[in-house]
Amino acid sequence: MRLPSALPWSRAINALSKSWGLPLILLIPCQTFTTTPALPAKPFPPRMKFDEADLTISYLKGTGPGGQKINKTNSAVQITHKPTGVVVKCQATRSQSQNAKMARALLADKVEELEKGDQSRTALKLAAARKKKASKLKKTRRKYRNLEKDAPEQENAEGLEELDGGQKVGTDAASKDDGAISTEGNTDHKGSSS
Amino acid sequence: MPRLPTSLLIKAWEENPLLPRLLRECRTLVSARNELRWLRERAQRETPSREWRTRLRAMCRQRSRGVPLQYIIGDQPFGDLEILCERGVLIPRSDTESFTNEAAKTIQGMAKSRNEHSNSKSLRILDLCTGTGCIALLLHQLLSPNFNLKIFGVDISPIALNLAQRNLAHNLEQGYLSEAASTQVQFLRADVLSQGTSELPTVEEILPQLYEHEPKSHEPGSGIETESQLDLLISNPPYISNKDFWNGTTSRSVRRFEPRLALVPPQSTLPDGCNAEDIFYHHILRLSLKYLARVTVLECGDITQARQVVKMHDSMTKSLAQSGEEAKFDVRIWPKTEQECDENGFHLYDGARCVIIRRM
Repeated sequence: MRLPSALPWSRAINALSKSWGLPLILLIPCQTFTTTPALPAKPFPPRMKFDEADLTISYLKGTGPGGQKINKTNSAVQITHKPTGVVVKCQATRSQSQNAKMARALLADKVEELEKGDQSRTALKLAAARKKKASKLKKTRRKYRNLEKDAPEQENAEGLEELDGGQKVGTDAASKDDGAISTEGNTDHKGSSS
Repeated sequence: MPRLPTSLLIKAWEENPLLPRLLRECRTLVSARNELRWLRERAQRETPSREWRTRLRAMCRQRSRGVPLQYIIGDQPFGDLEILCERGVLIPRSDTESFTNEAAKTIQGMAKSRNEHSNSKSLRILDLCTGTGCIALLLHQLLSPNFNLKIFGVDISPIALNLAQRNLAHNLEQGYLSEAASTQVQFLRADVLSQGTSELPTVEEILPQLYEHEPKSHEPGSGIETESQLDLLISNPPYISNKDFWNGTTSRSVRRFEPRLALVPPQSTLPDGCNAEDIFYHHILRLSLKYLARVTVLECGDITQARQVVKMHDSMTKSLAQSGEEAKFDVRIWPKTEQECDENGFHLYDGARCVIIRRM
């Protein structure tokens, strides 16, 4: 089939789709992308829920009289989890209800840590953060190693000369390398420990 | 007030030079630290980049003179609401917050036991001496999911009414209150103590407006009333005696910076057996009996005053019973048990209490 050359693209494609009986979309040329699909982050387990009967919530407004005679700004909330005996106190905000919410979240984390140990929500979160940081460090290390490889030889040579002057030992080159490795080792250590 | 030890002041100064100033009013390092944090947050939010430190210093200077934190910051959380505060209007107390919650619980419990449906009739609530409007607004937030409401907040002070109106708008804007509140909550000026002699209207005169949108059968004054005209009458009236205001029981900051109008009842002619500081309760109880309020909640300064209110109520119902009107009431003082006090942050012997009266 011959297309009239004067036809603009859109009309031409319309004409084609009609004559071939194909849906429009198949005819429009489009660039195809290949992207690595972003892996959805594995969701953390939800915060544990408490049985209300297990909790003792107390609002600590401070001692002494209250009411109109005194204007207290204390809004601390303390929650005790009776089965485990964990006590959590929160006085971050001026609002009692807000403090109670925060204290609950904190208590949930603490109790879960006690009960599940490594498998608790906070421990898993920490582990994930640690893994992420370690992989990031690994990438930076790789990058600088490559940079070092590509770097002009001269600098290395100068460095060697200086070392030569200072120590006068035949295995200087080796000792310098050692140094580089040990700093790397340090960062590595940091990454795994934090 | 015990003197602050020098060691504490030095320790505070080393931590932050602004802390000793706050200690003058806070008295403990923990609470001074908290207040400094809240002031800093506010100063940073309000003032542009570099000047916030100057602003913070000015705020701390004000606080060291005893100005209440809420007047400096400009608001106070009350339940899930944010109540604006300004000079001339009493700052909402956390005790009042607890009483309001308890009142809402009582109402919900009664509705459940009667198996009432939310759409049957609107719940009529009257909040006397509303001040910032905190009780009226919090009640709307707590009860509006389950009930159709009509809430009146009444106060004598135009400054308070103005602020209450702004609080309604502010909490609507912030999304803390549902849209319905704009029509269901109203603030009106009236004098609770007035006998009709002053220029201001009495509560009786403004109350008919509560029934405006309802069928005529509920209108007050139409023959003998058998149905209650108020579902909840709640109030945190001025209740400090003149003596307690001056003898050190009332803290210096409250005495100097909060309005006396909201704290100490004015001099007036007293009925028999009524203390000067209890005059508001006398008038409110009278209204409660007249309009057959189903629940009445009154904040009192301490347990002695609460017992006095219960006694006043008993004698009033007794005289009514003599004239032929029989009614049963369930009267309790809250919080009463050690657990109730502990869970709500009340002192076991001292501190505010509320009287909850239920018409059976």
